[in-house]
Formats: sequence, structure tokens, C-alpha cells
Amino acid sequence: MTDLPKLAELRKLLQSMERALGLEQLSPVERDIYYAASELSRQDAQVRTLVLIEHELLSGVSRPTFFRALKSLVNKGYLAQSASANRGRYVVNDPAS
Amino acid sequence: MTVPGHRGGRGLIVETLAASGAYLAAVTIVFTFLMPVQNLFFPEYPSRASLLFLPHGVRILTAWLLGPRAIVALLPGVALLFLYVAGWNTFAPTRLAGIAVVVCAAPLIFEALKRLGADIYPHPGRTPCWICVMGVGAVTSLVSAGLLNLLFGNGFEDWLALFIGDVFGLFFLMLGLLFVFRWLDRRRT
Repeated sequence: MTDLPKLAELRKLLQSMERALGLEQLSPVERDIYYAASELSRQDAQVRTLVLIEHELLSGVSRPTFFRALKSLVNKGYLAQSASANRGRYVVNDPAS
Repeated sequence: MTVPGHRGGRGLIVETLAASGAYLAAVTIVFTFLMPVQNLFFPEYPSRASLLFLPHGVRILTAWLLGPRAIVALLPGVALLFLYVAGWNTFAPTRLAGIAVVVCAAPLIFEALKRLGADIYPHPGRTPCWICVMGVGAVTSLVSAGLLNLLFGNGFEDWLALFIGDVFGLFFLMLGLLFVFRWLDRRRT
């Protein structure tokens, strides 16, 4: 129970609870990326990284911070890498699902 | 991962120390901090059962993570609690049956669900269903509280108190762990 995979599974369970209860905390950059991706996904379900990083909400965000936050959003289940396209395209998920 | 926690003997020792340790820690929190508060707010409440029984949460999460190995992992913790409460009466057949119910109920229900096609155990690449785990917690409580009441001859009031305490205990343990992990993350960064 103390080894990493077990702890990781427990954290995944708690994260799913956190999302469902609306308790998940996003950093300001993560929130801006999610808002920007949600807006862009209305035009095209698959959001391209190159378009996302150019969004006006993210104009003051450095590239390393952007990619760190993007990875975190994927880990938290807010964004998912597109299965049908090559890398650099993301699908916006409903955080409550 | 078909059998959660399927590892060697050393793994089982670590799992047993962690699960039984967590169980006894949860029992200590309940009887040292939560029960006095409960008695303060509900002094007229006739049942001695805790309305926030965190050890049930430990039982369910251990069974979810370890599967049938949770029986072995939880046994020392549960047996020690019975020994502390009942002394040498622990070895009476009804008390031994009580230990068996407490330790086996959750893993058996997870296994039964798996055999019926509802595999709730953790799997790589799959988002765990926390509501399903809560559901198993509620069903386990219904079954084990019912069996314990049959064994010890308690009434409906005690059964209801055990059920409420178990379900609240699981929910608030998960909520508590969530905030503990969040606090640890904040300390790390």
C-alpha cells in the first residue's frame, strides 16, 4: 500500500472526487489555458498548441510556464491529447465528468 | 492489474504494516478526538457507535487497493482493536466471527462485483470511480453492520448508527486525504 503505484492510484481516486465536488484548484495560468482552450474548441474540437499559446489570455505567459501548466491540465484530466491527430493537439474535457 | 497488490512476502508485510497502522491511527482519532465532540453535541444519543467512523474508510480503501490481500493486511489492526475493547473475550466465537466480518466484508464485495462484471479495482489508464467506491462502502456497511448486530444482539438504532458512521467515515476520510495530499504538494513546491 505504501509503494508508488498504490499511492498514485489513491491520488487518482481522490482527484476524481475532487473534480466531481468542484474542489480542484487550478493555478491562474492553468485556468487561463483552460478558458482559452474552451473558447478555441468552439471553432474546432481539437485545439492546436501553436494556436493556444498565441491566445490573448496567455500573452504574458512564458513558454516553459505554458508547457508546465499544459502538462498539469492533462494530468488533472481537463485536457486530453488528441487520439486521432499527431502531437500538439488537445481536446477539452468537462472537469465534472 | 487483475489482482490488486499481487506481490511477494515482503510486499505483504509492508502492506500489513501500512493498512493496520492506518486502521489503528483512524481508531485513535475517532476515540480520542471525534467521540468526545460527538458526545458534546449529541449527549442524549443512546448508541455508543461513532457517527464518523474513519476506520471504515481505511477498510474500504485498503480493499480497493489490495483486493483479497486486504484481509491479511487489516487483520492485525482489527484484532488489536478487538483485544483492546474486549480483552480476552476477543477469543469468544462471536467476537472472532465479528473480526472475520469486519476484515472480510469489503474485499468479498469488491471480488463479488468483479465476478459480476463490475470491476471497480484500480487499473492503469482508467479514471477511478469514486462514487462506485462510496457505493461499495455503503453496501459493505449495510452487510457488516447487519451481521455484527446479529452477532452481538444489538437493535435497529445501533445498526443505523453504524451505517451512518461508516458512510460518513469513508467520505470524510477521502476528503481528509485529499487535503493532506494537497498540503504535501504545496510543501514540496
